[in-house]
Amino acid sequence: MKIILKTEGLCKEFDGTKILKGINLTVISGEFVAIMGQSGSGKSTLLYNISGMDMATEGEVFFDGENISKFDDKKMSNLRLKKMGFIFQKSHLLKTLSIRDNIVLPGFKANVESRENVNKYAEELMKRTGIDEVANHDINKVSGGQLQRAAICRALINHPEIIFGDEPTGSLNSSASKEIMDIINEINVTGTTVMLVTHDPKVAARADRVIFLSDGNITDEISLGKYEEKNFIERESKMIEWLGKQMF
Amino acid sequence: MNMSLKMIKNDFKRNPSGNIALILFMTLAVTLVVAATIVVVQLTTSMTGMYEIAKPPHLLQMHKGDIDQKAIDKFSSSYDGVTAWQTSPMINVYGDDIKIYGKDLFSLSDSRLDISLVKQNKDYDLLLDSDRNVIKLNKGEIGIPVTLLNSYNINIGDTVELTSKGITKKFKVKTFVHDAQMNSPLVYSTRILVSDEDFEELFGIVGESEYLIETYFTDSSMASKFQTDYENAGLPQDGPSVTYNMIFLLSAFADIIMAMIIILVSILLIIVALMSIKYTLMATLEEEISEIGTMKAIGMTYKDIRNMYLKKYKIMTAVGIVIGYAVALMLSGLFTSHVNNTFGKQPFSVLTISIPILACIFVYFISNYYCKKILKKLKKVTVVDALVVGKGFDKKIRVRDGLYKSSRFPVNLLLSVREVFHNFNGFIIIFISMFIVSAIMIVPMNLLNTLKSKEFIPYMGISVADILIDIDSGENLEKRYESIDNLIKSDRDIKGYEELKTVRVETVNSDNQWMNLSVGSGDNAGKGLMYIDGEKPLKENEIAVSKLNADEMDKKAGDSTVLRFNGIEKKFVISGVYQDVTSGGMTAKSRNSFSGVTAEKYQFIINLNNGVDVEKKASLWSNDLGTGYDIQPMEELIDQTLGVVSKQVQVATTAVTIIGILMIAFIVILFMKLRLTKDSSQIAALKAIGFRTSDVRKQYLYKVSIVSVIGIFTGTIISNIIGEKIISLVFSIMGLGISRLTFIINPWIAFIILPLILLIVTASVTWISTRNIIKYNIISLINEWRCIFENYFKDRRTM
Repeated sequence: MKIILKTEGLCKEFDGTKILKGINLTVISGEFVAIMGQSGSGKSTLLYNISGMDMATEGEVFFDGENISKFDDKKMSNLRLKKMGFIFQKSHLLKTLSIRDNIVLPGFKANVESRENVNKYAEELMKRTGIDEVANHDINKVSGGQLQRAAICRALINHPEIIFGDEPTGSLNSSASKEIMDIINEINVTGTTVMLVTHDPKVAARADRVIFLSDGNITDEISLGKYEEKNFIERESKMIEWLGKQMF
Repeated sequence: MNMSLKMIKNDFKRNPSGNIALILFMTLAVTLVVAATIVVVQLTTSMTGMYEIAKPPHLLQMHKGDIDQKAIDKFSSSYDGVTAWQTSPMINVYGDDIKIYGKDLFSLSDSRLDISLVKQNKDYDLLLDSDRNVIKLNKGEIGIPVTLLNSYNINIGDTVELTSKGITKKFKVKTFVHDAQMNSPLVYSTRILVSDEDFEELFGIVGESEYLIETYFTDSSMASKFQTDYENAGLPQDGPSVTYNMIFLLSAFADIIMAMIIILVSILLIIVALMSIKYTLMATLEEEISEIGTMKAIGMTYKDIRNMYLKKYKIMTAVGIVIGYAVALMLSGLFTSHVNNTFGKQPFSVLTISIPILACIFVYFISNYYCKKILKKLKKVTVVDALVVGKGFDKKIRVRDGLYKSSRFPVNLLLSVREVFHNFNGFIIIFISMFIVSAIMIVPMNLLNTLKSKEFIPYMGISVADILIDIDSGENLEKRYESIDNLIKSDRDIKGYEELKTVRVETVNSDNQWMNLSVGSGDNAGKGLMYIDGEKPLKENEIAVSKLNADEMDKKAGDSTVLRFNGIEKKFVISGVYQDVTSGGMTAKSRNSFSGVTAEKYQFIINLNNGVDVEKKASLWSNDLGTGYDIQPMEELIDQTLGVVSKQVQVATTAVTIIGILMIAFIVILFMKLRLTKDSSQIAALKAIGFRTSDVRKQYLYKVSIVSVIGIFTGTIISNIIGEKIISLVFSIMGLGISRLTFIINPWIAFIILPLILLIVTASVTWISTRNIIKYNIISLINEWRCIFENYFKDRRTM
């Protein structure tokens, strides 16, 4: 089993307040990890620090065996471009580009595959996520669910080793949320590691493992095994029961 | 503290560079508006002040040869409206006749000006010192005209030695003469003042005698009619005549050109300042849309909210205006030094202070009106739009699918090009600023280059060549002509030459009255001039006339006119109308030899073989031929005739170039500051998906550079087309004999160096402005709404 991500004593301080207090975490390649916790517990901060979006105050982050804590802008950008994918609560697509152009952009930038191949793969992703019909649309003229699917396609265009998600379904209704999570599970099945932050037990119940963060520390975790739709209700109940223990 | 002042204070803290840049634009614009107004007011008051004391004539008729003073007195005394007249004698000397012994030893041989010695008049046409006192000289003292100081280093106390016709006399320079009528190199004459005793001693003995017949009227506009009647009466008229209006115009020409450039630049600067206000104001409104919504929600009216924003811009405009006014007053010496040098010291009057204040008030009201117009947008925003929908004032961004089709273009360039071309409006401030700045830099630069260029010669009524030799009327004219003729025929360095004989004939003006016409006659007469209508004369019975003569005669190409000479009248066809800024613009050219008519002057326009040093050759001929010949390399001719104008234009051009570059730097700083704030979430999105800081910086560099290149290109092309028309119009209005000027452009400066300087400045400022992108925190920018919310409350807490 290959360790894709590992943190050692990860701390983050902001304006004199310690948000993360020495996090030690290991993520196996192909794993789906959900991070939960109350507001202000530091779960989003943890995600941003392990994904290189933000720099930790103390501690080390290893990605694929490499210590990325000391990476410069060039190395970190390259890592984000080629090995990581991000899905935010809002899609954060570029306002001046169409859906399709937003998706192919990181592919063109990475310059690993030919532009023709990038375009073909984008078509395939858009079909898979059901947005091929709005490919040439202005991003201001499609629904929130379609935007989030486009963000997923963009995150996948360079075949990343890991996908990070910060409340990816946070601004969607329940049906759109389910569709997005189905896609994320599909991605995970193909071997891509997924790590996401959520408040929603329904979303967390789709993960292999859920960790609970409280006051900047990992206080507990639960293994749910690989997700299958047929045992979802059972996983959800187990999740809610565990979560109840964490809260009270 | 007052609520609005607190708002302004907070706004300054939040966006110091943007607000300072706005004040700076306003300051620059007002500085130039005030400077231009000061130049115009000082010029007018100076000239009026000087003219009141010096009393230049309403009509000046020069005459060489004997005069019948009684006939003049009889005619003038019986003419209705004549208030005074006088005849002043002059002694014309050659430049070679005058040597200056000062720090250096030199003669005035290379002066293009006709030099005369005069004595002080009694009541009219007085020569003044720098304090506008009527100069009184003792025997042995001499007053040097300030016009000569432009070309020669002459100081008080230097010795001037006059040698003419075997007589040598020495003088000490006592003072510098401010001459109300002969103060511009464009009039081609200058007067050196000597004491009455010295003048009487020399008159009729040295040099050649000439008279200035000066007349004054109850109204200066009577000069034209009087001139015609005077000429018809057969009174002395062997020389050019100039009216008061022409004296005024030629005297003020250099300063008017400078004021015109400054006015043009200041208008454009005000436009840029207003544009910047719009851009900043719109950005602020966008940023504060939720506050605006909240203010509306709690019941504040449109006017309450508008006035809060308006007050800030009112204060900023007022600050800019006050500083600009003060700076302009401090710098006014730079702009008015030529006025003071020419017309004597003019203390600042109430008008000099108050008229610029009126200009400032005008600028203030324009700015205020414009801000109110922009703030009308507040009316349309509803509480729901602002707080719930989050709809702002921004025009919708145009999204065009198609990036994916590109197969090769580098990604950063691709993104930049697409954004510029699909959302050009977002860069309009850069485009317009570049357009305006390149125009305000290039038009004066082109004008300067034109005035300095040898190719300007055709506008002076002469074809372009290497050397011009003039031999004026006077003793031994035919003998001097022969010397030149021999020299030309024997010098092997001469490639070719044209000869022009100037004769005075008569023709009929628009009122059907006879008028004098000075005609340059020769086989190639009229060749290579700048025609606005028709062409050069090809036949003996054809004549080309200068624009001012054509206006006076009310003729155009193809019309016929009658010339009277040798007592006979002969019909001529006007072959063309050309532009001529010299001799008051009143000249004509014909192939007719006008045999039997006495030549007033000969001109030889000479081209040398390639490789021959023009200056050395001119100097050699001057030495060989001695006095009585005016031998000038063409480039020097331009310098002496238009040098003063060029210097004024040079001052304005330098100022404009520096201001233009500074302005562009400020605009780009302001633009980048606001643009980066506005684009912060998009920059974060780019960084989040793997774009490096350097990629983002490159994108801004490309975007701003592409827009700048388009702006500069458009500005350069438009200024080359419209600029010519504006300058031509001004020349035409001023009645200077030029109505269609073609810029002589130095392509290196106009198309390469200036655009490149602007581009380098823009690119450098853009690059520097984006250096902080590396510090951008992706997460805080991604969560911009959270930041805005936090800032909102932080601002409220500090109020």
